[in-house]
Amino acid sequence: MTTMYIYIWSFVLLFGLSAVGALAWAVQSGQLANFQSGATSIFDEDEPVGEITDAFPTSVKPQPAESKKT
Amino acid sequence: MSENRVDENRLIPDKSDTATRARIDHSCQGVVVFWYGSSVLWLVLGSALALIASIKLHTPGFLADAAWLTFGRVRPAHLNTMIYGWASMSGMGTLLWLMARLCKLELPWRRILVFAGLYWNMIVAAGTWQILAGNGTSIEWLEFPWMISIPLGAIFVMLIALTIHMLRNRKEKHLYVSQWYLFGATIWFPFLYLAATILIHSSAAVGVAKGTANWWFAHNVLGLWLTPIGLGSAYYFIPKVLGRPIHSYYLSIIGFWTLALFYNWAGTHHLIGGPIPAWLATVGIVGSMMMFVPVLTVAVNHHMTMVGNFHRLRSSPTLRFIVFGAMSYTIVSIQGSLTALRHVNETGHFTHYTIAHAHLGVYAFYTMIAFGSMYYVMPRLVGREWISSRLIKVHFWCCAIGITMYWIGLSWGGWLQGTWMNNPDVPFIDIVKRMVPYLWSRSIAGTLMTIGHFAFAILVWKMIRREGEWLVEPTLFSSDKESALPSETVHGEVAKS
Repeated sequence: MTTMYIYIWSFVLLFGLSAVGALAWAVQSGQLANFQSGATSIFDEDEPVGEITDAFPTSVKPQPAESKKT
Repeated sequence: MSENRVDENRLIPDKSDTATRARIDHSCQGVVVFWYGSSVLWLVLGSALALIASIKLHTPGFLADAAWLTFGRVRPAHLNTMIYGWASMSGMGTLLWLMARLCKLELPWRRILVFAGLYWNMIVAAGTWQILAGNGTSIEWLEFPWMISIPLGAIFVMLIALTIHMLRNRKEKHLYVSQWYLFGATIWFPFLYLAATILIHSSAAVGVAKGTANWWFAHNVLGLWLTPIGLGSAYYFIPKVLGRPIHSYYLSIIGFWTLALFYNWAGTHHLIGGPIPAWLATVGIVGSMMMFVPVLTVAVNHHMTMVGNFHRLRSSPTLRFIVFGAMSYTIVSIQGSLTALRHVNETGHFTHYTIAHAHLGVYAFYTMIAFGSMYYVMPRLVGREWISSRLIKVHFWCCAIGITMYWIGLSWGGWLQGTWMNNPDVPFIDIVKRMVPYLWSRSIAGTLMTIGHFAFAILVWKMIRREGEWLVEPTLFSSDKESALPSETVHGEVAKS
């Protein structure tokens, strides 16, 4: 039973410390400092804000076989 | 085929964002396609098992002669193939791709990850076989016998190592909100998985303690594994597809940290009314009520990002599935928090109402988002377009109508079942008989969803076989060879829808 308590508590502590550690790191390293640039970090010059990047496939006829084999 | 890809990469010499993105996507190709492909096989198998289980509930004689296919085996086999086969494998695919893209890093450890996929498949196959053979543990969500469920933990340990490796080498210094969610899945869920499996299979957790560990874990599979992957995907794909930053980045971060703080407390609400200390259930109830905070932040954020763009649901398959999933997340979470109240639980617990709720979470929310993500990711990995718009629409409508019907039928029936069961004047057999029409609606809904899954499986199969068109998106390929190839055909024709 003692080993089990050690096991459970070590998991609890590791879990809790990883959460506290992650939050402390995020604050310290400025991850939570500039929200606006954070929100736009998934866009870039080639896929800028304002560009739609998904659509249903268009009805194109299949390519000739040789181009498929590339 | 991977050699071909490398050659194509050389045709993109510039350091433009497009080229970087294409390189990263290509680096994920073998691994993510393998995990995705496997997940779809499990999805089809899991659907078949689900249908068998569902039909048995209103037509008990169905396949009743085969011990392997009795309800007590088929139903857990369905659950485990869906959770560990379909949901986890598709989730891993999306997760790896998202981590690579968000870290702006080519996917490392590719051989290990393909091997991990094989290993995962073998574990799920062996586990399902053991359940069907009658060796399941009868602990819901952890039915695989110990010699199968504990070795699965190895993958999770590797996942922690991979995440740390990618984090340390990342080229994009800012961690986008999706990445925070993914940490929940890649760093915290492994803890939960290992802690719970070892506890459950040891002598430490017996009786009531086993039930507590069981539901603490089972709820966290949704809470810290599927939910973070689903929300991480939604937080990436909704803004990315629309080309519009998330409405409030601040709220999204609050949402993540409150989820991390509250979700893992909520599991014991599954045991309300059970023989556990009252405070333990109360902790679960409080945790569930606190979940309103992260849920509302997500709901407000996704809604406000979508406002003015709802017409895009017509033109983007990814968005259609993901917005359906995101809306379901709001509904399922609010329903879940309310169901955790003792008063509501009194009626809803131990009825079909709970089954409806579970499917709203894992299917309407998670699975729909997984479908949407795959619609976005796969063409970019394979470099081909999906073969048919029509099949995508069949897939969407079958699944959307199917799950809606499933949820309404079973919630309604389950609630009635609960009120009747609480009434000592209603004979039990009458309740059983009155449930039959609702159970039929479940089988019909399940059939619809299975049709959708077959449509999807065909699409994925054709995608893996590269039978689709060359992807024409200028955002994907900048090499002259690729972008020049199909453009004239495409602009010459009208879109199908």
